[in-house]
Parts: sequence; C-alpha cells; structure tokens
Amino acid sequence: MTLFRIALKQQRTGLIAMTLLCALGGVLNALGFVQVAGTSQVERLAFARSMEVLGAQLSYMLPAPEHLETLAGYLQWRYFGSLVLILGIWGVISSTGSGRGDEERGLVEQWLAAGASRTRYVATRVLVFIAVATFAIVAAMVVTYVAGVSAGEPLPLAGMASLGIELLVTTLACFGIGLVVAQLVTTRRAAGFGAAGLVMALFLINSAGRTSDVGPVRWLSPFYLYERSKPLTSDGALEFGSVAALTVAALVLITLAVTAFVRRDLGGTAITRASRTSRPSLDPSRDPLLRIPVVALLRQQWLWLITWLVALTALSAFLASIIKTVIDTLTTSSTPVMRAYFERAGLAGYDSFVGAIWLSTLMLILSAYAIVQVQSWSADDAEGRLATTLSAPVSRGRVIVERLIALLVAVGIICAAAGTAVYLVTTSQSIQIDGSKLALATALVVLIPLAFAAIGQLLAVWRPRSALVLLSTITVLSYFIVQFTPLFGWPEWVANLSIFSLYGMPMGGVVNWSGIAGLIGVTIAGTIGALFAVQRRDVGA
Amino acid sequence: MTEAIEAQGLTKDYGNGRGIFDLDLTVADGEVFGFLGPNGAGKTTTIRQLMGLIHPTRGSARIFGLDCDRDSVAVKRKVGYCPGELPQFGGWRGAEIVAYVAGLRGDVENASIKALAERLDLDLGRKYREYSHGNKQKLALVLAFMHKPLLVILDEPTSGLDPLVQQEFYGIVRDARSAGSTIFVSSHVLSEVEHICDRVGIVREGRLATVSKLEELVGMRAFHVEIEFADAVPTEQLKGIPGFEQVRVEDHRASGILRGSFEPLMSALASRRVIGLVSREPSLEEIFLTYYEAKP
Repeated sequence: MTLFRIALKQQRTGLIAMTLLCALGGVLNALGFVQVAGTSQVERLAFARSMEVLGAQLSYMLPAPEHLETLAGYLQWRYFGSLVLILGIWGVISSTGSGRGDEERGLVEQWLAAGASRTRYVATRVLVFIAVATFAIVAAMVVTYVAGVSAGEPLPLAGMASLGIELLVTTLACFGIGLVVAQLVTTRRAAGFGAAGLVMALFLINSAGRTSDVGPVRWLSPFYLYERSKPLTSDGALEFGSVAALTVAALVLITLAVTAFVRRDLGGTAITRASRTSRPSLDPSRDPLLRIPVVALLRQQWLWLITWLVALTALSAFLASIIKTVIDTLTTSSTPVMRAYFERAGLAGYDSFVGAIWLSTLMLILSAYAIVQVQSWSADDAEGRLATTLSAPVSRGRVIVERLIALLVAVGIICAAAGTAVYLVTTSQSIQIDGSKLALATALVVLIPLAFAAIGQLLAVWRPRSALVLLSTITVLSYFIVQFTPLFGWPEWVANLSIFSLYGMPMGGVVNWSGIAGLIGVTIAGTIGALFAVQRRDVGA
Repeated sequence: MTEAIEAQGLTKDYGNGRGIFDLDLTVADGEVFGFLGPNGAGKTTTIRQLMGLIHPTRGSARIFGLDCDRDSVAVKRKVGYCPGELPQFGGWRGAEIVAYVAGLRGDVENASIKALAERLDLDLGRKYREYSHGNKQKLALVLAFMHKPLLVILDEPTSGLDPLVQQEFYGIVRDARSAGSTIFVSSHVLSEVEHICDRVGIVREGRLATVSKLEELVGMRAFHVEIEFADAVPTEQLKGIPGFEQVRVEDHRASGILRGSFEPLMSALASRRVIGLVSREPSLEEIFLTYYEAKP
C-alpha cells in the first residue's frame, strides 16, 4: 500500500493538470459551439457545412466530422478528436517517468532493496496510472455532460460512457508504448523522445490514412482504432473489435515491458550490446563552444535545439501549405455567427489568417519550449548543477541573464527558420504576403516565450518545485483567454490578462505597440524579480 | 597577514536545533585544516556558507579578507570546491564537464586537468552517468584542484575512493600545500585527517566544540579493543593498564577503550593465553563522547 500511495503522490501533478485541462476543454468547447453554431436548424446546417469543408483541411489533426450540426457531433470531432492525442502524450510522459525516470533518480533501487519485487513495483505504477487516467477522463466526461445540459443540449449518456472507455484504452495503449520504449534506452529523456516520436508517427500514419491509402499499417495506430467508433453520434455503439484490439495491445505492451524490466539490469537496457573497449582519455574536450558564455548553454542542448528547429519548420511549412484552402472555406462561410466571430477577432484577408493560424500555433508551441527550459532550470538547482556553476566565479545574476539570452537566441533561430518556410510556401501558392510584415510579426513572436521564460525564471527561483505547474497553468489560461474572448465577447481587460493577447495581430494590420510594450514589461519585471529573488535564496534549498 | 578563512558568529539556523551556530573560526594561509564532526553536525552547512551558496542567518565569514556572501564571485576566483553531494550531469562526458567549468573559470590549463586525471586514474572520455560513485568523486576533485586555487574547500572528499586513490588524494593535497594553497577539508573520520591536517576543528550538534593542533588530538584518539582469553579474565590487571578505560567483562571476554600506545596492554597480555584480539577505530561520535566523559 505504501508503494501505491507513493506512486499516487508522484502522479499528483499530472492528475490535477490533466483533470483541469480535460474538464476546462470540455466546458469551453461545449459553450463555444452553442455561441457560434446558432440555434435555428438553418444556422446549424450552414455551420456544419462550413465545418465539414474545414474538417477536410484539418484531417491531418482531427478525425472525419459527422453530424456537426449537433453538439455531440461537434465535440466528438473538435474536442475528443484532439483530446485523445493529448491523453496519449500524457501516457507516454507518465510511463517513461515510471519506467526510466525513477530509475535515474535511484528510487527503483531503493524500492527493490526494501524488498519490493520488480513485478510488484511496475504493476503498482501501472495500476496507479490506470486509476488517475480513469479519474481525469471521468471528470472530463461529467463536466462536459453538465456543460451540455446547461447549454440546453444534453449529450447521450451511453455515448459519453462508451467514449470514456475508448479514451481510456487508447491512453493505456500509449502508456504501454512508452513503458516498452523505456526498457530499450538508458535515460528518461531518450525514452520520452523515442516514445513520443513513435506515438506521433502512429498518429500521423492514421492522419495520412484519412486522405490516402496507407495500407494495413494503419491498423497499427491506436488512433485509427480509437476513431473507428463514433459513440457520441451513434447512441453509444462501440466498434467492439477496435476496443478489444486496443485493450489487448495495452495488456501485451505492458506485459512485455514488465518482462523486460524483470530480466534486464537496473540502469541497463533490454537489448544487450557487445562491450566496447577504448583507450581512456585524460584530456578535456577541445570543443571551443563549451567555453563561451551563452553559446555553452546552447551547445549542451544542440540536439534538442535541432529537433525543435526541424519540427517547427516542417510544421510551419505544412500549415502554410493548407492555409489558402482553409481561409477560402472560412471566409465564404454562410454562418452569420461565424462571420461575426471573424470580425470580432479582426480576421480579414490572407495576411491576418496567417497570423491567426500559423503565428498562434507557433507562439503556443514556443511557450511549451519555454516551459521545458524552465523545468530544466529548476532541475539544475535540484540536481546540483547550479551549485557547480556557482562554485566558479560566476554571479547568480549572470546565470539568470545567460539563460534568458540563450533562450532568446534559440527561439530566434527557430522563428527565423519557421518564418522563412512560411514565406516560401505561401508565395509558392500565389498568396500575397507582405514580407516585411511577416518578418516583423515573426520577430515579435519571440517576445512570447521570452516573457514566459522570465516569469518561469522568477517561479524557478522562488518555488522551484512548483515552477512547472504554475507556469503551465499560466500558459493554459492565457491560451484559453485568447481563444474564447472573441467567442464569448469578453471585455478587453480580460483579454489583456493573457500573455498571448498582448502580442496582438501584427499580420492583420497595425502592430499593437502598447501590447508589445506590455510583453517587454512582463519580461523585464520577471527578470528583475528573478534577479532579486536569486540573490536571496539558498542554492539547493 | 590576511587569514585564509575567518568566521565570526557564523550561524545558519534551520530550526529544531539544525544548522550551525555562532561559529568563530580562523584558518591561516597555507594551513591544512580538518573540519571534523559526525553526520548532521553542520559541516556541509558551514562549507556552503563559505562558498556563498547559502546565506547566513547571522554572523559572517571572510575568505582572504573578502566577505563570502557579498563578494562571493571574487571569493570563488581564489577557491576550488568539492561538494559533499555530487551533482548529476547525466549524459555529459567527463571531458565536456571539465571543459565547461574551465570555460566558466577561464584560468585553467589543459595540462593541469590532464595531470590530475592521470594521478586519479580518471577516464574523461566516459559519460557521467556511466561513472561509479568513486569516479564521480574523482571528477569533483579534478574540478576543485584544476585551476590551482589559493584555497581548496573539500567536503568529505574521500567518500567512495578506494584506499589507493585515497593515498593519491593525500599526495595531491600535500602538493597543493607545498605550492602555497590552503586546504579546508571536512570529514567524519579522525584517522583520515591525521594524514594531511595541521589543525583540526571538531563540530558537534551545530557548535564548534574544539580546535586543536593534530598532536593535541593524539590523546583523543582511541581504539575499541576486545580480547578473548582461554582462562578467566584478569579484570584487575586490565583495569590497571594506563589508558585502558571502560573495561567490561563477560565470561572469557573483556572489552574497553584504549587511548595512546598499545604497548602497556600488549605487555600485560604477554603472560596470558589470549585466543583472540580485535581492535577497531570507534566512530568520531564514540571517541568524542568517551573523551568528554573522561574529562573532569
């Protein structure tokens, strides 16, 4: 029971964050649908037609839409279609933490030394994840159902229950993938990258299968099996074979991982390699980059940086490639409420939609980059690397400033590459984009992750253990505010609470310089706060 | 002449009696000073304050006349540091770690790093996560000594080192001292500091109990001795042996604490049929307790 309690405690942050995210997403999407789609049958059908055309363009991300004139059909497509990927990634993060992260920190060794068997240890971690995933999914279902009732369009109970089961088994299948990958590598980071990459590849195989024939390989994707059932629009009916396949896949993967864990050495992998012999080295690295301030920080994470650079450039090029069709679909929408929504959001012309679609995606992903960086800064303190840095003649203030400059440089490089890709792809599609406007908008987007990083620095210095959760909460709230303010017509002061809102829409017209000044102000205030706080705190405390 | 280390009323109070309290201590330039104490006595807390990593609750410490808290950057130009708790560098190679820290310092010769790695038999080409505890400790020692600092602060530096490497470490300390460095080394083993230290300060329950020259501590050194006799134990004879204290007898076995030379005990046992004799160095806490219990 002690093992179970401790495992539950380790899942606490994920449980709270995912429950809030799932529940909030359900409520906002349900209420947002009622606002946008209108109430009359004519309005609803017009809305559904527009969304179906849009859905075809978003097939890389969302399943094929069905009955979009109803709340149930809309949620099944728009919300639960993307929630399954978020839950899958959560499963991967959790399983690689259980399967490799605890081992890296020496916790597994402690437990095994205390008499827990390997099977019992992993089984407990699996059971705890099943419990917390079930709780988060049930909470999302209940809250979304209540939102539907309050909006005057109750969702089918049987459909909600069936969908909950589907989400759970798909999440567990992704958890199993992460747990197996964790047995094949030696670090949590490698396990996380490997498993997340595999899950994303399976997601994209299914996405590709929506528009072209990818053959039987599509059956390997848990996301394909998930979307074969459409329980919200079919009175709760499940495609039994798919649910059974997902359940069996989860069980097989978890059993495979447990077997590998029982057989392998702690700290080792399930794949044994022939030992290599090499001459011992007594020399320090000759890499000059390691000895240059700021550059050394970038050099330490060059692989990580290149991964972000390639992924975001590719994503930017892809979004730019579909932008014309999406815009044409949306701007010819016959739904009056949707047109009003675009007007309220200041969307008119290709330029502004590039801002709305590409830049809003970019700033959200770059915020995630900033959050990951803040997490590593907190870990520097907890794992003694900060003390090592400060045992050299380096001031605490220099550490704070160097981190921010390194982040600025990294984000600047990523944005430059992504912006160039967007410009090249859009011009190749005969979309007239003002290059100087795009360059300015891309340059200004750098301020978003910088502001989050400055706030994160302050949090990492002030409350290092809670910094990740606090900054993630601020980011999610900022994102929801900016997404739903035009939808619900919230006042401007609410919109200005969001970091994203301060960026404005530089592609749509005049740059909101007061908002930009606000972003710079947040960055300066966060940095000054962090500089002040870091002088006062005890390192490693 | 400026002292290497000077602490005045240095206090870090973590509450519930934990921390270090009212530490007054001076370490002379060129001295090798041992900072002894049982686990949890406040050694690491003191060292982290000297390094400017944690702030004192009250009092102050100076290194070569510079305030450890206010002037910590200038202080660390003169100091090398080996932490008690080793950092985690994950997938970095040893060579990359030393290059990075050397870059932060800016005054490190590659030859110095190579010489230290060679003396400690440390392969810098391996990844940090592949290092054993002992190898991680060796890397920490390389980082502490590589820039030939004026003062080296070492927190339990021999933890995890095998006896041969420990001997090499003592050699490195002696060489650094010959080159003019001051060494401040914490330990919880008296015999360890005997190898290298000029003076020793003993800290207990957060307070500095005594500071003495090493030779003055010889009287404090003690061994726990157990003797098994073939015949009855000569209790009165044992109690009469100089330096043999706290004699306890059970059946054919006798035990006690022996201070000073073994010679009187061995002479007394020469005429007896002894089946076995075991002596071990007691923990510092045991020595400390018996030492102060014995004092009037």
